Amino acid sequence: MNNLDTLPKKKILSLFMTCGFPTLSQSKKIFNEMLSHQPDVIEFGLPFSDPMADGPIIQEANKLALSSNLSTQQSLNLIKELSKFKNNTSFVIMCYLNTVRKFGVDKFIKSIKNIVDGIIIVDLPFEEESEIKKSLSKNNIHLIKLISPMTDKKRAHKLLKGSKGFIYYISATGITGSNKLDYKEINKNVKSLKKVSKIPVLVGFGIKSKKDVLEISKKTSADGVIIGSALIQKYFDLKMDISKYLIALRKFIKEVKV
Amino acid sequence: MKTYKQPNTVGRFGEFGGMYVSETLMPLLLNLDKSYKKIQKDKKFKKELNDLFKNYVGRPSSLHYAKNLSKYINGPKVYFKRDELNHTGAHKINNCLGQILLAKKMGKTRIIAETGAGQHGVATATVCALFGLPCYIYMGSKDIERQKPNVFRMKLLGATIIPVESGSKSLKDAMNEALRDWIKNVRDTFYIIGSTAGPHPYPKMVRDFQSVIGKEAREQILKVEKKLPDYLIACVGGGSNAMGLFYPFLNDKKVKIIGVEAAGRGAKTEETAATMTSGTPGILHGSYSYVLQDNDGQIKEAHSISAGLDYPGVGPEHSHLKDIKRVKYFGVTDKEALEAFQTCSKLEGIIPALEPSHALAYLIKAFKNKHKNKVLILNMCGRGDKDLFTAAKAIGFDADE
Repeated sequence: MNNLDTLPKKKILSLFMTCGFPTLSQSKKIFNEMLSHQPDVIEFGLPFSDPMADGPIIQEANKLALSSNLSTQQSLNLIKELSKFKNNTSFVIMCYLNTVRKFGVDKFIKSIKNIVDGIIIVDLPFEEESEIKKSLSKNNIHLIKLISPMTDKKRAHKLLKGSKGFIYYISATGITGSNKLDYKEINKNVKSLKKVSKIPVLVGFGIKSKKDVLEISKKTSADGVIIGSALIQKYFDLKMDISKYLIALRKFIKEVKV
Repeated sequence: MKTYKQPNTVGRFGEFGGMYVSETLMPLLLNLDKSYKKIQKDKKFKKELNDLFKNYVGRPSSLHYAKNLSKYINGPKVYFKRDELNHTGAHKINNCLGQILLAKKMGKTRIIAETGAGQHGVATATVCALFGLPCYIYMGSKDIERQKPNVFRMKLLGATIIPVESGSKSLKDAMNEALRDWIKNVRDTFYIIGSTAGPHPYPKMVRDFQSVIGKEAREQILKVEKKLPDYLIACVGGGSNAMGLFYPFLNDKKVKIIGVEAAGRGAKTEETAATMTSGTPGILHGSYSYVLQDNDGQIKEAHSISAGLDYPGVGPEHSHLKDIKRVKYFGVTDKEALEAFQTCSKLEGIIPALEPSHALAYLIKAFKNKHKNKVLILNMCGRGDKDLFTAAKAIGFDADE
C-alpha cells in the first residue's frame, strides 16, 4: 500500500524539511511537530554538500546538518523512526543522485522500502532514470517527476508517461525559495499538465505564506502546494532559537493548512 | 585501440559524463547541445572564429624549444606550446570566443561565468567587452583575495564580479552559484563554462574549442622535428588545457600522454586537489567523473596553491582516459610546483603560471637524466603575472617593498 495513491483530490499540502537540521536531535522535534499536523505529504531532504538546484536557505540548512557529520544512514534511521507515526501522511525523500549512488542504489531502496512512498532525485533526469525507476517500482516506491516552465509539451508527455504519486511543478523559473509567483503562467502550465497526466499536480518553489497558498488554490487548477524554504527561513529569522522556532512552526503550519 | 570517438550522443565518455541536472536545466542543455551541433557545420561560424583566433588572440601560439631547461633536465628535448602568449595570458580565451559566438547565434543577451584563478573570468570579461554583452562573474571570496590582479582586470573590462561566500569559497562554489543564476535567468542568459567539466555538452564543446592547441602543436612539431612527439604533458584541474593539447593526438598510439594534477600538501593528505589520484567516481556539477568525496558522497574541499587547479572534480573525459589507460595522471605538490616555477623563470626567461608549473615540476622530477633523444611537448597554458603575489608570499619574498 502506498499512501501517495490515496492523496486527496484537492488542497494537498506537502511540507519539505532537511533531515538533521539544525542538529539530529532537534530535527526529530521538528519532524514530530510537522507530523502532528498530519499533512498530506512530508518531504525529507537528505543533506548534500553541493545542492545546486536549491536556493541559499536550503543550502544553509544542508550545511548546518552536515556540520555535525550527519550520515545518510542517520537520516534514513530518522525517517524510519518517524514512519511509525505516519498514518495517512505520505513520506517522500528528496535528494541528489550522488547520495544514493554512494550509499548503493539497491541498499538504499531496500532501506526505504515500506517506509517511504516516493522519492525525488533532483539531478536524475528522465534520460538517466530507467534503471533506478525499475527497481523503485518493484518496491512500490514512486519516482516523483519535476516539471519546469522550460519543459515543453512534447517533453512533458515523455516524462510523465506512466508516472505515479504526484507531479512536482516548479512554479517559478527559479530555484527553491526565490522569484515571484506568476499565477497566470502557473495556471496555463498546470492545465496543460493535467491534459497529459491524471495524477495530482503540486506547485512548489517560492510559496511563502497563507496568502500564496490561497491564491494558488483560487487562481490556478493546481491540486496542492509544496512549502520548503519558507519553513526553514523561520529558524534563521528567530536567530536559531529552537524553542521559539517550534512554536512558530506550529503556528505557520496551522495557517497554511487551509 | 579503435579510433577514438568520444563522447557518444548523450555525452558519455565511456561510463563518465552525462547530464545530471534538474529539470529546470535539462531543456536548456538539450537546446544548447542542438545549437552547438548545428554551428559545428556552419562554415561562417568557423571562419569568424578562425579570424578572431588569428587577429584577436594572436594564434597560432609558438612552439618554443626550451633549450636551457632541456639541458638542465638532461633528458628529452622539451618544447613549450606557448598558449601563455595568447591575448589575456592563458589558453582560456580560445574557449570563450567559441562560446560567445554561439551565445550570439542563440540570441542570448547576458553572459555569466565562474572563475577560480581568474583567467577564465578575465577571458570571459574580455570577449563580453568585445561583443558588447553584459558580463557577470561568480568568484569565490577566497579566490578574490588571492587573485587580486585578475579581479581588477575583470572590473576594467566592465564585468560585474559576484563574490561567493558559500562552501569553500572557491571554484566549486562559484560554479554552484553560476548554475543557480542560470536556472533563474534561463531565458536570456548564456553560461560560459571555462573547463571540460559540467554537464554535456560542455565537456565536449570546451574540448573542441581548445583543441586548436593540439592541432597547431601537431603541425608545428611535424615541421621542426619531422616526427610526432614521444610525450605530451599538461596540468589538469578541470582539464581544458590538457584536453586541448591531448585530443588531436589521442589516435597517435605512440605518443605517450601525461596529465599532472595538483596534490597540494600531498596526494595522501586531506589538503589536495589530485582528483584522479585521491578521488573516486561520483557526481558533481552535472557530470559523472572522479571527485574528492567522503563515504557518504559529500564533496570535499580541494586544496592547491594554484587557484586554477583548486577543484574537487575533473572533466569526465580525463576520467575515461585514465580508466582506458590512454593517459597517465600524477600528482605534484605545492612545494614542487613552486620550485619549478622558479627554475623555469631563471632558465628560460619565462615566468609560468602556477598551473603549468605543476606540469613543469613533474617533467623535471620524472625525466631528469632519462628519456634522452626523445621529444616532449609541455603545454605552457598560462603566464605567471597573476601569481606573483601568491608566489612571493610562499617563497618568503616581501613583494610590497
